[in-house]
Amino acid sequence: MDFLAEGFRRAFALLLSADAEVYGIARLTLKIGFLATVVACGLGIPAGFVLATKPFWGRRAALTVVNTALAFPTVVLGLLLYGLLSRRGPLGGLGWLYTWQAIVVGDILLAFPIAAALAAAAVQGVDPRFRRTAETLGAGRWRAAWTVAREARFALAAVITTAFGHVVAEIGSAMTVGGNIRGQTRTLTTAVALYTSQGDFGLALALGLILLLLALLVNVALQALQGRGTVGNA
Amino acid sequence: MLELVGVVHRYDGRVVLDLERFQVPAGAAIAIVGPNGSGKSTLLRLLALLERPTQGEVRLDGAVVTGSAARRRVTLVEQRPVLFHGTVRENLEFGLQVRGTRRTVMNSVIDRVAGTLAITTLLGRRRHELSDGEVQRVAVARALVVEPDVLLLDEPTSSADRAAAQMLYRVLAAERAHRPLAICLASHQLEDAYRWADDVRALAEGKLAPVTPENLFRVELPPGESHAGLKHVCVGSIEVAAATDKTGPAILAVPPTDIFVSREPLAASARNVFSGRVTRLSHPRPGVVHVAADVGVELVAVITEEAVRDLGLVPGGPVVFSFKASAVRVF
Repeated sequence: MDFLAEGFRRAFALLLSADAEVYGIARLTLKIGFLATVVACGLGIPAGFVLATKPFWGRRAALTVVNTALAFPTVVLGLLLYGLLSRRGPLGGLGWLYTWQAIVVGDILLAFPIAAALAAAAVQGVDPRFRRTAETLGAGRWRAAWTVAREARFALAAVITTAFGHVVAEIGSAMTVGGNIRGQTRTLTTAVALYTSQGDFGLALALGLILLLLALLVNVALQALQGRGTVGNA
Repeated sequence: MLELVGVVHRYDGRVVLDLERFQVPAGAAIAIVGPNGSGKSTLLRLLALLERPTQGEVRLDGAVVTGSAARRRVTLVEQRPVLFHGTVRENLEFGLQVRGTRRTVMNSVIDRVAGTLAITTLLGRRRHELSDGEVQRVAVARALVVEPDVLLLDEPTSSADRAAAQMLYRVLAAERAHRPLAICLASHQLEDAYRWADDVRALAEGKLAPVTPENLFRVELPPGESHAGLKHVCVGSIEVAAATDKTGPAILAVPPTDIFVSREPLAASARNVFSGRVTRLSHPRPGVVHVAADVGVELVAVITEEAVRDLGLVPGGPVVFSFKASAVRVF
């Protein structure tokens, strides 16, 4: 128990003293998380819309692929990306292996199916009368889609926060293609793994607490949004 | 003119609509009546260009409709309409915004239509602050502000009380007087349909019924040989004798002009004699009276005003309806 208490004491001391390394890792994690979430949701949510609303050949297969990708092991994803970005790989010329950009790419590949699958479910959950009503009032394809998105806004907000949550908590791909290089590619999750293995429990705990804090903030934001949806702001 | 030509529409392989021709001429007031599941809502969705018919075509002013541009000339109000996120005013603005209407014009149109439908006080409210009847009125207003050439209404008074329904019909009449507007309305209330529409069409099992729309019933004809050429069919709480050999699900129709109306049972050849009470007397045109009576089910008979006077028929008063088994149509 002393060992745990000492860990927490050290963690709070590091957090309160604004330790440069701890905050540097947190900043990089946030940067990677936001970038990957923006790109993954920017592509995944429209893809989810198409999957949910447009009948096309292979739609069922596409939905199956996206849903299967939700359970894709991140370490395997990192391995495949490693193969692509390594010197001998087809994307080796980019020189992105062991850079934060490689982690962003891995996180995008991880979050895209999450955004697409959950957005498809969110859009399918919207009463079809909303689209029909928009169309019968003269709305074109995009305006009708925007109307549906407005009706699904709480579920779509949940899509974004879920994607962000997965991205910041991911470790397999970040470790494989980022390399956990101090000051360059060390994220909260890879740092927690490293410091725990080195026996620096306090530092690992401090980083873990920041990660928890991020997850908490994301959930509070989501609950605030959902709360607004149920307390008469329909 | 909006028309469906050679339309067959299927859901999961099942034919739900089969119409050789259905026309909505410019400026017409059409009521479509029929039991639930007869295809009224599907017909309106095809006319609204929200669904493409499995077979056949939709024409607007003679040209086959292919894209969605024609949707701006035809607007549908669904039976249970939904309002978008936002205030009632924002809902009314929706159709005008997509047409790029200027703000000043938008405000004046919305204020005029909201005034006629008595929803001015609702303009600042949101959907969860409205009753079902108010939502229906707002939905009608939202459709009227875009000034369509054809307005399609699916049971527009299903959530309205009598007064609200009368107001809606008055507004629709005023709107047609104000500009060329064709209205096609699906309703199960025959009285309203006759009072309001120039043309009442009956739909049964996805087809235009070959009889007038009163006294239409969905029935299950008993299997087996008919007795002396007659089958006794349960309709509500009465048994109707019909001259038919058919079995299974069918539509049974009793033409209102084939019903004899009397105060006492007649000694006659009619196999169907039912006593009941007059529920309604309506006057669709001068000299003609529709007598609705509850005889176990509601039946409507058409007689002259003179006959009503001679028989002393009044709402609530006794009446006997008689009709021959051979007058009953089964299809």
